[in-house]
Amino acid sequence: MSTTPSPAGTPAPAALVDPVTERAHALLAARLPGVVVAQELAGRHPWIRVTAAGLRDALRLLRDDPTTQLECCHLISGVDWPARKPGETAELEVVYHLVSYALPYDAAYKARRGPQAKNDPWVAIKVRVPREAPEVPSVMDLFTGADWHERETYDLLGVRFTGRGFVPRILLPEDWPGYPLRKDWETPTDYHGIPIVPPEGL
Amino acid sequence: MSEPTRPTIPAARAPSLVSGGEPHHASVTPVGGVAEVHEQQPLVGQDLRTEELVFNMGPQHPATHGVLRVVIKSDGEFVQGLQPHIGNLHRCCEKIGESVPYYQWIPYVDRMDYLAAMCNEHIACMAVEKAAGIEVPERAEYCRVIVAEVQRILSHLFAMGVYGLDLGAFTPFLHQFREREKGLDLLDHISGGRLLYHYVRIGGVKRDFTQEWLDELEAFLAAVEQRLPEYNTLLLSNHIFQQRTAGVGVIDRSACVRWGVTGPALRAAGVDFDVRRDAPYGVYDRFEFAVPHGHSGIAGVVGDCFQRHWVRTQEVEQSLRIVRQALKQMPQGPVMGKVPKSLKPVAGEVYVRGENPRGELAVYMVTQGEDKAWRARCRGPSFSNIAVITETAKGTLLADLVAAIGSLDIVLGEVDR
Repeated sequence: MSTTPSPAGTPAPAALVDPVTERAHALLAARLPGVVVAQELAGRHPWIRVTAAGLRDALRLLRDDPTTQLECCHLISGVDWPARKPGETAELEVVYHLVSYALPYDAAYKARRGPQAKNDPWVAIKVRVPREAPEVPSVMDLFTGADWHERETYDLLGVRFTGRGFVPRILLPEDWPGYPLRKDWETPTDYHGIPIVPPEGL
Repeated sequence: MSEPTRPTIPAARAPSLVSGGEPHHASVTPVGGVAEVHEQQPLVGQDLRTEELVFNMGPQHPATHGVLRVVIKSDGEFVQGLQPHIGNLHRCCEKIGESVPYYQWIPYVDRMDYLAAMCNEHIACMAVEKAAGIEVPERAEYCRVIVAEVQRILSHLFAMGVYGLDLGAFTPFLHQFREREKGLDLLDHISGGRLLYHYVRIGGVKRDFTQEWLDELEAFLAAVEQRLPEYNTLLLSNHIFQQRTAGVGVIDRSACVRWGVTGPALRAAGVDFDVRRDAPYGVYDRFEFAVPHGHSGIAGVVGDCFQRHWVRTQEVEQSLRIVRQALKQMPQGPVMGKVPKSLKPVAGEVYVRGENPRGELAVYMVTQGEDKAWRARCRGPSFSNIAVITETAKGTLLADLVAAIGSLDIVLGEVDR
């Protein structure tokens, strides 16, 4: 797959190729062949998907290259994609939103108004791993702040970050069963004898 | 003399005060009821043997601004290492975002950073609007900016007052809460809540401003403008305050960027960046305002506690400017756009970031054509801002740790979400 089809009803985003993501994609394609798996360079949320093995190299390159200088890992999020149709592979996705404080703000963005436009110079790097063995290399040594974000992603979605030793939970107790943000998670009935009553409607 | 005699400590078990493995011989002789230790070797020229002590600060410590537990390894008064433990206030905001319809999630977002509920709502609503392609009326955009900037003033007044309290100055806290109270009343009168408002709705805002409210707002702005120099005199030019904060808890640009520290702390490190100006959302690109950032022309060093506090004081002035301009520019018209009863954005994703009083709040939302989000991820600025303390506070005095945590102005509701 190369790009996701634009859903019916939304304005065609073809004209709005994001310059920052495009630059990052060109850099990755030229310097790290085989790392980029898929990309979407236009629309309100452009992204580049890389292989798990090439993730560290890709993020390091984007951080250090003078043309991108994506020096800050703004947010790491995990998204659960269970198999919803037969034949689909169940996957976990980790999304890295990188921002730069060094490059001057692109004035072209100011003209991009409206709900469908991307008017913010960040770059989203995605990596997908199988749900049964969700192992993603840690980027904690590249972006120190990734530490807590990785711990949270492990805590709530069970993504295992390799190469950084033991990953403790961060928000939930250490003995909490399972990963609550996985789609098949069921609220336990009690925790150490304390009954858990989910609010109505949840 | 009727002093009770102390029990004699056996010489072999007496803790040695002198460095070195073996306790050296000391004879313990009770004289006049008080044990006197006659050292056979003088202590001059030898180091005292000290022990590292591991202890908890919090979760109910006033200087942690909420339920933050910091495990500190200390050597005397010095912090050797520390590890913040968070999660005490985890309320599953992201899980709730996946479980309830979009409309119902907005009040939960208020509760992340409960001192900046208006700003949270603003950004969360923008994320949903972007996902669903909803146009917001122009007047509503101005209403949002005005309430968000009033909220920023209130939040900074709180931060500045409480920071004085952290450092032992009680007076500024009481003075700043006088103005904050007026501001809370103001937001109460427009939304019906003092702290958690649910005023900004998907598609616009709940209700339009009345003339009485605008008069009240004008009185509030005038009061803050008049009092602000007094507050700055109370703290910024206070010698004790300068001594406690200047050069303390320095977080430089490199540390900010590595840890993802944003907001006033990033600007205090000399980075001239504000999302409102550099990646404008709403109608922020229509206002003229300065972005105060730390520099060597003021007291302290770039990125220390003093400059973080200074940035906040300056941001209040800029917020006043923005509100005044917004009031002038505000067009007439509706304050609520056309929003379908059942909101089902097509499959896709959005990433929206905005400038909260504490830093950059970002919402990453994945939609799947349902009335609920597939993933509603929030980046609480305090989450990244407090993580940096592990690096900053290493080797500082315990009292400076309190100064450093206070100057980051964290809200634990947002750290734990």
